[in-house]
Amino acid sequence: MKNILNFFTYIVIVAGIVFGLPKLLSHYLNTPYPMAAITSGSMWPALKEGDLVFIQGVEPEQMKVGDIVVFRDKKNSHFVIHRVTKINDKTKTFVTKGDANFSEDEPSDFADLVGQTFEIKGKSIRIPYLGSITVFASNLKEEKKMESIKTP
Amino acid sequence: MEKKEMGRKILISLAVVVYLFVFYVVLDANKYKAMVHIIEGAGRVGVNPTSESLDFGDISLGMSATRKVDITNQTVMPVRVLVWTTGDIEDLMNVSDKNFRVGAHSDAEIEFSTYIPASAAVDRDYEGRVYIFKIPTFGL
Repeated sequence: MKNILNFFTYIVIVAGIVFGLPKLLSHYLNTPYPMAAITSGSMWPALKEGDLVFIQGVEPEQMKVGDIVVFRDKKNSHFVIHRVTKINDKTKTFVTKGDANFSEDEPSDFADLVGQTFEIKGKSIRIPYLGSITVFASNLKEEKKMESIKTP
Repeated sequence: MEKKEMGRKILISLAVVVYLFVFYVVLDANKYKAMVHIIEGAGRVGVNPTSESLDFGDISLGMSATRKVDITNQTVMPVRVLVWTTGDIEDLMNVSDKNFRVGAHSDAEIEFSTYIPASAAVDRDYEGRVYIFKIPTFGL
């Protein structure tokens, strides 16, 4: 009886972490996208491929040159995490660049800003390898979705 | 009591076999020191030919270099090849295949390419180690 109770307690805790944590983080960090997986090495060595980072919602006016921000890429609607290199308040645009890249990105509108990486003492908080797991899990989910679409 | 003793003996024998297997795989692994030195300038790639290590030599930002390792399986059994990289250089180095099978009496080639991004520190050595394990598959 005690074992069954322990098992259910364990399930409740795991479910709480899996489903509750993103909601809690979303509320605390003031953004609908509180976590992001790094899928390329463009921000190496500040952020490495496979890292999981926390995103904090910010207003465009709070953004500073040097911040690592998340924004929606107009070309493909993907999220991009790069460092701000220029801000133009008149045109309400900002320019970013991946630390490991040699050229800057196209200017983005303030409206495309999603947030910035959550920092403690000026350093982005990252969990190594956890991002790879989430990307792997989401790919599996996508594959399953695709299979279910293909299967009549 | 005798059954217990017999079970203990079987377990110890199994543990010894597993230990010897792991020992053999580790001993048989190819172990290389990998290194690259970042230099100033553009379009510069140095040449450091050696078969002792995966030495990518001197490379400037934005450039890349490739080294190849040949794997020869001279045994009668297929082997699974697992490549494990460690150290600072791990982030800069791309391995063509980290997990593949080599048939009996066959060869394979692993390509290690290093690209130096804009954020790499100039005049710094990035080092690490590369382990290539060849695990007998026993027909599995």
